[in-house]
This record gives sequence, structure tokens and C-alpha cells, in this order.
Amino acid sequence: MATMTFREALNQALDEEMARDPKVFLMGEEVGQYQGAYKVSQGLLDKYGGDRVVDTPITELSFAGVGVGAAMVGLRPVIEMMTFNFAILALDQIYNNAAKMRLMSGGQYKVPITFRGPNGPAHMLSAQHSQATESWFANVPGLKVVSPATPNDGKGLLKAAIRDDDPVIFLEAELMYNMKGEVSDEADYVLPLGKAHVAREGKDVTVITFSKGYHHAMGAAEALAKDGVEVEVIDLRTIRPLDMETIARSVRKTHRVVTVEEGWPYGGIGAELAYCISHDLFDQLDAPVTRVTGLDVPMPYAENLEHLVLPAPRDVIAAINAVRYRS
Amino acid sequence: MKTAERPQNLATAVREALVVAMEADADVCVLGTDVGEFGGVFRVTSGLLERFGKERVIDMPLDPAGVVGTAIGMALYGLRPVAELTFADHAYGAFEQLTSELARVRYRSNGQLACPVVVRMAAGAGGGGGIHHSAHPEAHFVHTPGLVVVCPSTPADAKGLMLSALRGEDPVVFLEPQALYRRSGGDAPEGDAGVPLGVAREVRAGSDLTIVTWGAMVRVCEDAAAKAAADGVECCVIDPRTLWPLDLDAIAASVAETGRCLIVHEAPRSGGLGAEITALVQERCFLHLEAPVTRVTGFDTPVPAALEDAYVPSVARVLAAIDGIMSF
Repeated sequence: MATMTFREALNQALDEEMARDPKVFLMGEEVGQYQGAYKVSQGLLDKYGGDRVVDTPITELSFAGVGVGAAMVGLRPVIEMMTFNFAILALDQIYNNAAKMRLMSGGQYKVPITFRGPNGPAHMLSAQHSQATESWFANVPGLKVVSPATPNDGKGLLKAAIRDDDPVIFLEAELMYNMKGEVSDEADYVLPLGKAHVAREGKDVTVITFSKGYHHAMGAAEALAKDGVEVEVIDLRTIRPLDMETIARSVRKTHRVVTVEEGWPYGGIGAELAYCISHDLFDQLDAPVTRVTGLDVPMPYAENLEHLVLPAPRDVIAAINAVRYRS
Repeated sequence: MKTAERPQNLATAVREALVVAMEADADVCVLGTDVGEFGGVFRVTSGLLERFGKERVIDMPLDPAGVVGTAIGMALYGLRPVAELTFADHAYGAFEQLTSELARVRYRSNGQLACPVVVRMAAGAGGGGGIHHSAHPEAHFVHTPGLVVVCPSTPADAKGLMLSALRGEDPVVFLEPQALYRRSGGDAPEGDAGVPLGVAREVRAGSDLTIVTWGAMVRVCEDAAAKAAADGVECCVIDPRTLWPLDLDAIAASVAETGRCLIVHEAPRSGGLGAEITALVQERCFLHLEAPVTRVTGFDTPVPAALEDAYVPSVARVLAAIDGIMSF
């Protein structure tokens, strides 16, 4: 295992997939000469040239569309959104073309494209540059949605996303690019899409989360372990499709569920989890599925207000206590 | 107007609401693709150009982002624009304007500015429009703080909710079920008959099972409830009418009585509004529930033109779900 930052792990994934398959190319704002707004594409222009590392104008809708077209004729584009806050300008291409094309063509076309970039609350970037966009993608038929929590998962899942034959939305947490972690040094390390990961085992409560929420959940689990509460933490890794098998196995053991995400509550990822769990495992539940989310407001600019809006380990602990009927 | 001339479908009911509001308030204006000379893709704005002139009924290019952006600017200058996006699928072309701009104006200006824009769009299947003309996108809009989301199921509600939307101070996304534009659904009341936003309507009383549904699915659920009643199962049918903010009190009060809840919507299954309502109901009514909250929805695919009838929830699918819940 080598220790590296999230951005280095993602860079390795891109590098390895571009070396492995000449059909893979990277396109987006500042990915080439500037080496990436967040330096994820560092060094790739020098290594692979301007035909495969393509700088674009600031036109998300158009380069998303160029990517869909390239994917339809057999290439494997990786489209970098400088942030997913800007990807909403490209939703028409992502929803109406990338996600629908396979069905619309009766399976004659596939669209093996990866849209990737930073997502979720950043730091003091306010209402338009600090949004968790996963729920806007997670109810779109035809898309897969992935959001890794660690550098290791970032590498393994990005490689899988690029190899997948369907469009994948790959959401990197904006505040985790500098986070360091151990990354597998297997020659070709690929993690399967659609499989959740039991990151910590426990028998009392299941906490289901992804991306930055994973770290809140692990923090809460560690704190509660000192009081003898054994929390099982499931990192979804893939938000759509959900790995209900792994979730069900855990809920049958713990009978209590807390979900953790940074996005808005109403219609968030926790809602779908609450449906699937309360429906499929009705007789197993000893408490309602309880959600920890960001507050239902646009992200404020002020740092103190940001702290009030976003979930923290203390909120996860409170929810775990609630589903255990403890105060 | 004589009773015989009352609006009896969604298209004429929304039109009458626009006429009432435009006559009462010179700031109300309409803009969008084909709203003027053509009278609207679904004829909702038919006759408005002749009546109110091109300063207030404005034909726009086929540019959803431009339509919404222009409406935002007009609202910031004190007008009350009604922006038509024709089909809801086209709203994705305006998504940044709708979510990052329209929904954020009040917050970003610290309450100094309001942005009372009503954005109308035809939602759902019903016209054989296929993959790009049948979206029912409420899940995306309800998730966005700052947007009120409305979806009427009758001419009376369509007129009344539109009148209320036009008098509020916040942006409203107004989803008009395509299947109801031409379907007779009872008279809309005369004059200025507003229906409050955020208040559900009990469509049918019943004490065995609560069905929560909206838009074109209300009729389907009423038919299913009538059939279930013949078998001795009394369903309470609740139409929230406003999808955000949701009248959870009305839903929870009914579920507390029935102990059973079915949610029916036309939009795709995963991540749909049915999931959120389930999450809220099981939080609020956990100890009342005799069976899992269940949903009947569109499928997790785009809406296929040829198989539209199979895609949209049917009376048979709703009845099967009722059976499943009652026999749990």
C-alpha cells in the first residue's frame, strides 16, 4: 500500500486507464495546460498529448454534448466538470441524451462516458458553488452515480467507471482532494460499481453513508465505541444502483438504521434508503430509518453558518442515540 | 359566464386563472415559446395575445434558459411573469437558471429581493410524446430549496393553485399533467377562487388504507379505490396538490387512522417523491404502520412512446398494491 492524496489516486486512475485503452480521453475546462483546476489531471497533457487531453471553452453544455457524441461513436470520454455546480448547465445533455440514448436507440448505441469532478459543500463558496448534487442525478434512469469516500476507493471506482458501458456520474468531494490515505498497489486495482463496503462492523446500529459523510459516520462510531455501542458503517460507494443486499444483511443484524449525507433532506439519498429499507425489511426495524442531512437551505457563505448547515459527527451520534431510544 | 361555459379541463382552467390574474394585475405577463401567436403548444394561452397585447404576452425563441432568465429579470424589476417551458423535459435546459438563480434570489439578496416567477410546464405521459416529451420531474424541483412545486389534478385546483401561485412572493414550479389538458374533470369555479398552496385535498374518505397521489394519477387511484370499495376495502385518497411544501399533517393524520399507506406517482421509481413521503411517514407514524409503505410508480426508464400505457401506473397495478398491503 502506498500513501497518497485523493487527487493523486484519481490521477493514477486516469493515467492507468489512458495508458491501457487509447479510446479513453479527458476533456474539460483547464484539464490540459493548467493541469486541472484541482490538479487531478497533472502531467497528463505532457504524457498523452493534446488529442487526448482536451482543453475546452467555458461551455459545459457543449463539451458534455461533444462527449456524448464521442461515446456514441466508440470512444470513452472522461468529462471533467470544474465543479458539479457547473454541471447543472449541462443537465440537458446528461439527462436527455447521455442517460436516454441506449434506450432510445433500442440498444444500438451505448454511451460509455464518465462525468467527473468535485461535488458537495466546499468551504465558504456560498449558495451557487457549494452544492451536493447527487440527488439530482440519483433518480435519473440510465445513469450510474458513484461517490468515493477514500483515495483507495477513488482510484478503484474511477477505473471501473471509465470501463463501464453506461454513463457514470463520478462525484469527488471538493474538500477531500488533499486527504491522504493508503491506496492499493495492485497492478490493476478496480472496484466493482454497485457494491457497498462494510467499512466497520458492529451489531447495534447500521449507519449508511457515502463520500464525506463516511468520515462523520466513522468519527461517530469511534466515539460511541467508548460507550460500548457497536456501530456498523456501510459506505455505499455507488449511490445508484443501491446495493440492497449488503444493506439488508446489516439491517437484519442491527434492526436500526441511520443515513448520513451532506445534501438537502427533502428527496435526498436518505429518502430512497428509507423507502427500500422500510419496505423490504419492515419486520426487521425496531426504529424508524432516521436521516442526518444538511439543512434545507441554500449554502450560506459565512463560515459559522456553514457549520450550522452541515452535518457533523455529533449529529450522527444524536441520530444513533435516537434510533436506540436513548437521549 | 354561463355554467355551461365553465372550464372543464386543465388547459382551459389554467387559461382562465391567467385571464383573471392579468385583468386584476397589470404586472402579470406571460412569456415562452409559442405562447403568443400560436396560443401555446397545448393552447393554454390561446387568445391572450389578442386580449392583452404583445407587451404582456411575449413569444420567445426555443431557449428554456433564456425564457427563465428573462422571467427572473422581469420579476426583479417588479413584474409577475409566468414563464412557459412547454414540455417538462425542456426544463433541464433551464436547470441552472431554475435552481442556481431563480431559487436563490431571495436568499442571496438577504431578503431584499423576491422573485415571484411562475414556471409552467407540461409534465408526464399522455400524448405519446415519448422519451423527450413525457418527463415528470418533480423529484428534481422539490429537492431544491427555494422552489414551491405544485401539481394540480382537477380544473378547479389548477385554476385555484395558479391564482395563489401568482400572488405569492416566491418562485413556483407549476407542473401541468399532460394527460389532463383535454380531459373533462368537473367545472372550475367562477371568478377569483384561489386554492391555498401547501394544503392537501382529501379526494375520498376511507379508514382502511391511505393512498397519496397527485396529478394524473389521482383519477387512476379514485377508480382503483372505487373498485377496492366493492371488495370492502375503504381507501382514503389524499392529493397533496403542492409537492413542496408538503402537507404532511394531512397525510400523517390519515395514516395514523388507517395504519397503511400507498403512494402512487407517474415519475420514475428510484429517488422519486414517493421515497421522501415514505421516509416522512415512517418517521412520523412508525408505531401506527401495519404494513410497509408501498409505492406504485413509473418504471426506472425514460417514458417509451409505444409502451406509454404500460409505463404509467394503471388501476390494475394500484389494485394489486392495495391487495399486497391489505394482506401483509
